[in-house]
Amino acid sequence: MRRSAAILLALVVSAGQLLGQPGQGQRLPNAANSVKLAVIGDNGTGDRPQYEVGAQMARSRAAFPFDTVIMLGDNMYGSQEPADFVKKFEQPYKALLDAGVQFFATLGNHDNQLNRYYKPYNMGGERYYSFAKRNVRFFVLDTDSLDPKQLAWLEDALQGSTDEWKICYFHHPLYSDGGTHGSAVELRVVLEPLFLKYGVQVVFAGHEHFYERLTPQKGIYYFISGAAGQLRRGDVRRSEFKAAAFDQDQSFMLVEISGLDLYFQAISRMGQVVDSGAIRRGRS
Amino acid sequence: MSAATPLKRAGRFAIDYYAALPVGVVAALIWAQADAESYFRFSHAASFAVNEVGMALFLAVMTKEVVEALSTGGALHSWRRRSMAIVAAVGGMIGAALTYFAYLEMGDELSVLGPGWPVTTAVDLAFTYFVVKGIFGRHSAVSFVLLLAIVTDAIEFLIVALRYPVADVHVTGVILMAAAVLVAIALRKSRVRHAWPYIAIAGGLSWAALFWGGLHPAFALVPVMPFVPHAPHDYGFLAEAPPEAHDPLTEFERKWRYAVHIVVFLFGLVNAGVLLQGFGTGSWAVLTATLGGRPLGIVLAVAAGCAAGLHLPARIRWRDVVVIAFAASIGFSFALLVATQAFGIGPVLVEVKIGALLSLSGAVVALILAAVLKVGRFAPKNAQVHT
Repeated sequence: MRRSAAILLALVVSAGQLLGQPGQGQRLPNAANSVKLAVIGDNGTGDRPQYEVGAQMARSRAAFPFDTVIMLGDNMYGSQEPADFVKKFEQPYKALLDAGVQFFATLGNHDNQLNRYYKPYNMGGERYYSFAKRNVRFFVLDTDSLDPKQLAWLEDALQGSTDEWKICYFHHPLYSDGGTHGSAVELRVVLEPLFLKYGVQVVFAGHEHFYERLTPQKGIYYFISGAAGQLRRGDVRRSEFKAAAFDQDQSFMLVEISGLDLYFQAISRMGQVVDSGAIRRGRS
Repeated sequence: MSAATPLKRAGRFAIDYYAALPVGVVAALIWAQADAESYFRFSHAASFAVNEVGMALFLAVMTKEVVEALSTGGALHSWRRRSMAIVAAVGGMIGAALTYFAYLEMGDELSVLGPGWPVTTAVDLAFTYFVVKGIFGRHSAVSFVLLLAIVTDAIEFLIVALRYPVADVHVTGVILMAAAVLVAIALRKSRVRHAWPYIAIAGGLSWAALFWGGLHPAFALVPVMPFVPHAPHDYGFLAEAPPEAHDPLTEFERKWRYAVHIVVFLFGLVNAGVLLQGFGTGSWAVLTATLGGRPLGIVLAVAAGCAAGLHLPARIRWRDVVVIAFAASIGFSFALLVATQAFGIGPVLVEVKIGALLSLSGAVVALILAAVLKVGRFAPKNAQVHT
């Protein structure tokens, strides 16, 4: 049953690529002055699939020279001793780290909270923080515990941002068609009004071990990319919110932001583009 | 017979057994599953009024029970009566906390869930009391478990107030709290025989002190209640005082009784709504700690106390201790309150809340054990002992 579903999905994706349908055949423009990044989530298993995704990211970088990777949490599973940082982070992404690619992490429920002090995660010892790349500001949240202090910080940070693009990322998805976890509705009720009020355009989350792109919710684009190491095959349920999903193999995302447009691709461990598209930002 | 009588009886039962709380909990659970978004919108809108203001009333009533238990005839009146219960309370808390950490140590979520250990050490005073009373009837086990639960929650009060500041601690809070206590002392010295000046002036200052001081303002009336003049004798836990009793503390409870039940209902409604899909490691950890670690801790602490020369209250046998230990594993409302202080909004809080709700199953385990071990109302008729 699962095998036939996988074959069917592969056929749909291939057909989409051949026909150039929106959502499957979008190329990244690879413009000279654009913001280029990769997105990974739920990656830190230290197992072979994580290494294979890491290798695939390095191959992608040869053609699409991203200098940033955002990590959506559960960056490390199980033991988190110094040797694990090598096995579950430094080795799988060695090629990227050696090339000077910067990683910006958020923490998930499996991460040791002290990992925010780990320098290559660039968290500056903070549970939540923001950073900018050209015309894009990223707001990195800790959804393990969204306390009033963090909410007040987020509102201040969003209000104070004059950047053209405002992108939020954190571990638990506000919308999800995952059979195991599903949507974090309580978080959504608190966060979404702020996103709407201050014009957040795109939100990335992990936690669910698959890739999913939701239909825009109240004008915001939500992505789940939580399969850069872990995988929960067949976990995506049918739903009216689902724009695209891939739960048959590990995956990661490539994103390019150029002027008014954000281009994205979801790429499987084997290098197949399983979803792609472009988002145009409204002029503010 | 008129329809009013059964209604009146149902109302009486609801008040006697704090039934408003489980009704609120069930309503919240149903609402959250049916329409999560509208439920969470409501719960966030009502959260401050219920958790930070209304709950001050409920905790005031609980403090009143402690104050009265310390007076003549109360369960906490003499050190001799307190000692074994204190030992059992501390043992239960240590047992629960250690089990919680041990459970989490097996996985990789200790770092995130670890700060929630006080959720496992809280005891639902009212529920535990009613379960033990239901099993034992009039028996020294009831005052023993009451004592155990009161001591546990008194320690818990301190832990929550100090461990989970709601904002940065400011010196203004200390000054305001000193003013609150001084006002309460002055009112007492002036022999003020009404509760409202204590509640309104000293309580108001205390609420502001905790709020501005960064601590949880629901505890505002806890430092004030001991100064309100009370009856020289304890009338029993959550028991109605006789009509001739007119001391300020009793009058306070009479006037605010219904309001407190509304608050308790709202507390259940605002805090207990969780999506059952949110069950996770935190739920298992809390459940294992409360249903495993705490009873074990209590039994071992009582054994250690006996070995050290302390005595169990008269007519409490070992099999009774086992049943009491499981009844005292119910965290429920107080565990929910602590959970909301320990974690911000998010799936981790949901997991822990589910564990707190499931700790109610301690009541079922206690009942089953009572039946199996033949204690309390399950004892053979000729073997039943009462005090």
